[in-house]
Amino acid sequence: MKKSIRSLAATLTLGIASFAWAEVAVIVHPSAGFDSLTEDDVARLFLGKSKSFPAGAQAVPVNQNEGSAARDKFNEAICKKNASQYKAYWSQLVFTGKGTPPKDAGDDAAVKTLIAANPNMIGYVDAGAVDATVKVVFKIP
Amino acid sequence: MKKMNSIRKKHSLALIIALCMAAPLTQAGDLNLSGFLSVGGGMIDDEDSPGYGGYDEEDLTFDKNLLGLQVTGQVSEKITATAQLIARSETDYEVNAEWAYLTWQASDSIKVRAGRLRTPFYMYSDFLDVGYAYSWITPPREVYYLPFNNVDGVDFYVTQTLGIFDTSFQAYFGSFDDELTLGGAPSEAKTRNQMGVAGTLGKDWWTLRAAYHQAELTVDVSGIPISPTTTMGGFATTLTALGYPDNAARLLVEEDDAVFTEFGLNIDTGRFVAAAEYVEFDPGDAVFSKNIRQYVMAGVRAGSWLVHVTGSQAKDEATHPEAGIPANQTIPVFGNTNVVIGTLQAIAQSQVTERDVLSLGVRWDVASSTALKFQVDDVDNKTAGDQKVFSVALQTVF
Repeated sequence: MKKSIRSLAATLTLGIASFAWAEVAVIVHPSAGFDSLTEDDVARLFLGKSKSFPAGAQAVPVNQNEGSAARDKFNEAICKKNASQYKAYWSQLVFTGKGTPPKDAGDDAAVKTLIAANPNMIGYVDAGAVDATVKVVFKIP
Repeated sequence: MKKMNSIRKKHSLALIIALCMAAPLTQAGDLNLSGFLSVGGGMIDDEDSPGYGGYDEEDLTFDKNLLGLQVTGQVSEKITATAQLIARSETDYEVNAEWAYLTWQASDSIKVRAGRLRTPFYMYSDFLDVGYAYSWITPPREVYYLPFNNVDGVDFYVTQTLGIFDTSFQAYFGSFDDELTLGGAPSEAKTRNQMGVAGTLGKDWWTLRAAYHQAELTVDVSGIPISPTTTMGGFATTLTALGYPDNAARLLVEEDDAVFTEFGLNIDTGRFVAAAEYVEFDPGDAVFSKNIRQYVMAGVRAGSWLVHVTGSQAKDEATHPEAGIPANQTIPVFGNTNVVIGTLQAIAQSQVTERDVLSLGVRWDVASSTALKFQVDDVDNKTAGDQKVFSVALQTVF
């Protein structure tokens, strides 16, 4: 379900796109030794600032493909960056050998399948796509 | 004596490393290719006044183009090889391996690299050529003026979370050889025992940075003419013969201990962006001036637009190659020591840049990896004429 609500404020702040989609769930493998992460934990993983879960295990973040509603919402809410700021942020790290952005792994279904099969991965999907094959550790309302 | 102008030499060794590296890995399938492109040009306001930043025509020319390709290959689980090849319009699109290095990921937070690396002089050094990564068309020239941007050596890079802060620390050791254009003639330049440290401390929307570098700097200035009949080298020989070997040494740039320091601040709240850097170059016993440079930038984002204003300044101080020579003494060749003192002071003064530049720029993110930029620079040159530069660039990453 994609619902777009444009508030007056958003219209006034010039071109910030619609930002009220369905809930996005941050998911990991069901075997992960933790049940929740903070927003900061998630942001640090997806911005390349840390490479392991707070519990110590290695973490491999995966993105949805560019243009997906969940990705845009995730970037705005967690990384605090719009699509081009996000790209610019990573180009500062990529071209220095100081970091590699999370791989683009497809849509809700593709990301969910990948997470369900990989205990080290972390991703995000539309909350409606969540099932028992993955564990939700953070929700973006 | 003209200012230093870098001419990049073909570094065939680095190229070979890059090619050897890329060849076997193309089959491995674990090869990562990324690239960046900048296409642009500009014009100046007044051809009777000195050009600025490589722009020197009143007619709009599109000749500031650059294409970069970066190849990264996984050599083993912990080792990657990276090469960055760049072709620039200024050097007739001759392909140069600006970087070629091996990275050993010692742990999650520690990297050790060896090869040709970018020297971490500035806040934007790492991605200097990737215009898409920052707001301007090029970072402020008053501060980003050093002719050497790379170093052959090893470095150590560690990122760490300290309490609520994100920190990084980088230390390197190496050397570099380049060819510069001085007074219109090519001149060999090199650094030896070059080393430096750079650290950052940040949280969410702000980052502080500081860096310190030192090197033994040698630049062959001996062939530079200082009068129709004399060169720097000839003048130095005469000074030694007159009994002023210390002053002769100050005139030449031979293994002089040079020091470069930098302080920077970067802010990005999403809505507001700001950056500031202050740098100092101390040439030690060399005849180059003490460079004191800084800029402050502030901008605001609205949707896919970013409007920014930057004030930058060069306020160099002349060195004193004449120090120690007694005034008003009778000497052979020149007649009076005052002539020698005057000449030395004039040479030192010719190395001084005093300039204020006010820049207004717009960045428009046309798509998620393409930005179109416009910039106007108002140059107030205290030692030469004023100038205005209008420039435009389309910059992408892929």
